[in-house]
Amino acid sequence: MIQKMKSVLVVGPKSDFSQIVDVLYHMGTIHLEEVSEYLQPGSGNVRKILTCSMTDIPVLLATIEGISLLLPAVKDRSNLTAQRYEEISHLSTPEVIARVSHVVGIVGETVRDLSTKKSDLEIAITGLDRYEKIIDKIQPLEQQLPVLHGYEVTVLVIQKEYEDVLEIIRPALSDLTNGQFELISADLDEQTIAVITVFNKHYSENVHRFLFSKNINEVRIPADYSNMPLDKALLLIDKNRRDAGSEKDTIDNDLTRVSQEWGHELAALQKVLTERGEELSAYNNFGETDYTVMVLGWVPKKLIPKTRSALNEAFQGRVVMTETDATTETMDRAPISYDNPRWVRPFEFLMKLASPPQYNEIDPTPLMAIFFPIFFGIIVGDIGYGILILVVGLFIRFRFGAITWLRQISGILIISSFPAIFFGYLFGEFFGNFGQMMGWLEPVTLFGITWDRIEAMIPLLVLTIAIGVFHVVLGLAIGVVNSITRKNRKHTCEKCGMIGVIAGLILVLCLVAGLLPEALYIPAFILLGIAVAFVIYGGGTGGAIEIMGTVGNILSYVRLMAIGMASVILAMVANELGGSMDVLALGVFIAVMLHTLNLMLAMFSPSIHSVRLHVVEFYSKFYHGGGLPYRPFSSGDKPGMIDGKK
Amino acid sequence: MAWEVAIGAAIAFAGGAIATGWAQSRIGAAGAATIAERPEAAGSVIVLEAIPETMVILGFVVAAMIVIMVR
Repeated sequence: MIQKMKSVLVVGPKSDFSQIVDVLYHMGTIHLEEVSEYLQPGSGNVRKILTCSMTDIPVLLATIEGISLLLPAVKDRSNLTAQRYEEISHLSTPEVIARVSHVVGIVGETVRDLSTKKSDLEIAITGLDRYEKIIDKIQPLEQQLPVLHGYEVTVLVIQKEYEDVLEIIRPALSDLTNGQFELISADLDEQTIAVITVFNKHYSENVHRFLFSKNINEVRIPADYSNMPLDKALLLIDKNRRDAGSEKDTIDNDLTRVSQEWGHELAALQKVLTERGEELSAYNNFGETDYTVMVLGWVPKKLIPKTRSALNEAFQGRVVMTETDATTETMDRAPISYDNPRWVRPFEFLMKLASPPQYNEIDPTPLMAIFFPIFFGIIVGDIGYGILILVVGLFIRFRFGAITWLRQISGILIISSFPAIFFGYLFGEFFGNFGQMMGWLEPVTLFGITWDRIEAMIPLLVLTIAIGVFHVVLGLAIGVVNSITRKNRKHTCEKCGMIGVIAGLILVLCLVAGLLPEALYIPAFILLGIAVAFVIYGGGTGGAIEIMGTVGNILSYVRLMAIGMASVILAMVANELGGSMDVLALGVFIAVMLHTLNLMLAMFSPSIHSVRLHVVEFYSKFYHGGGLPYRPFSSGDKPGMIDGKK
Repeated sequence: MAWEVAIGAAIAFAGGAIATGWAQSRIGAAGAATIAERPEAAGSVIVLEAIPETMVILGFVVAAMIVIMVR
């Protein structure tokens, strides 16, 4: 059901404004409304509070986030962060901003310098690795190169897939250098080949221009390594890399030290600053006079005493909170918060498929919590599958209970497994007909019908249509209540008329089937006529067409029987196929595989169809939705909190 | 069972199945595009995908009734 909400107005002295906002924010019970939107005519000098300058806060938050990203992770220091948060949270917003600026000034520059140096060293190490790889490859070719003074050596790196380009380079170089060149190639790795060219320095400019024009990747070995034998160059690269690595380790240690020293302070400052930013961004909602400030909003009825006592404790009566019930005029603005019993709460997950109900309409969650498991049970209708679904539900609950949506799904599975077991007993099913094959159980005979799903198709058909009639009429009845609440006479007439049409059609069907005396024909048709008139009055031509839609909705409940029957037949196939195998292990394997498939389908398909019967067939009779979710003014769970690093 | 009965039941079921398949293919394609842009709409898309199944279910019911009731 929907939680009762109270419209509240908090009034206090202007001097306490920021503390009032802070107390309300940390209470996290009030759903704010903009005061200016609801100022009554003649409310005199009440005006909207203009937003304070917030430009500093986002910039400082971005700076802290940037610093925290550069700092390495350190071990959990949440206790230190909490202590520091407690200390900082008592400061005023300007004091917090000053403290953040101070800390950022000290830490920011150091961290940036260290990070830049580290980044440069990483680039240098990557470059050295590349040079080493190339030199390592071309070293064996060194002996093949002519030892000539006044000649230049250039290394080209070419993707293997473009190897054919060598056939273009070779004649071109020959032309450019008048044949005074040498070209040797070798595989660098799986994707690239290295090509070494030696040519007279006299042609250097032309050669480089040509290579550039052909977009060929020319590796220029730095001067430090180019004027020495390759083995010496390799040794020098190795030494320089070790030096750079050692320097990088020193910087890492420095950054870790900074993270240990300042990480908790930065985390606490970020949290406080985020909260202050949110508080400031809410200022537009508040109103003020010359001496007072006003906060308007909604608080759940059961949280009113807690909110009031928090304000009294903080301000010793200087701040007053008045509350009023939601009226017909204010109901449309009241936010929605569910307050359901424990067994209904998992089904709030399924309610997310539709928008939240409006404050002044009936919350269908408890009804879904009743009918969903019944529909699920009728479709699954198997003791074996029911037990396994219960086990899966319990496993999810104990293994992943911390994740809200998985906990809700596990709750739905656990609750729905009991009707599945019950209907399994009624239909005499234990992994399809396995229970019957073993002589463990038989379908129950009730009301003169043996409820075997394969044999009793017609009774099941009638039963599911009867369930459909009941469910749809219940939806229409709730629609009548909702339209009376909204004082919408036409809707009331349409819904009542539709109930009359369904009753009239059932009467006529019973008369045609000879279940009722023929004398009732005339009253049945009179009832139908009046009901259709009501429907047309309430809904116009669309209402008349809706009659066909409603009949279709009722027939749609036949799926409860049809999908269940498909599941039984698949289970029977699993048993028959498994039983027909000559090798016992193979038979068991096939049966287990098919039953597993059927079980997975049994958890998914009945859920989808039960939800669909609610959302499409049931809700369409009364549900409007479009309610405003209750969003309390609070910190909640803030992502991106850091302690050294997120 | 007369072969006409079996053929009649098969036609009744096949008509619903083909119609459902066609409708679900269209809804599925649109639904996949919707989820790609708005993942939060997944729940609604799954319900929409289940809507045309009414046709095959009613086809199944008609087929079952033909088999059971037509002698």
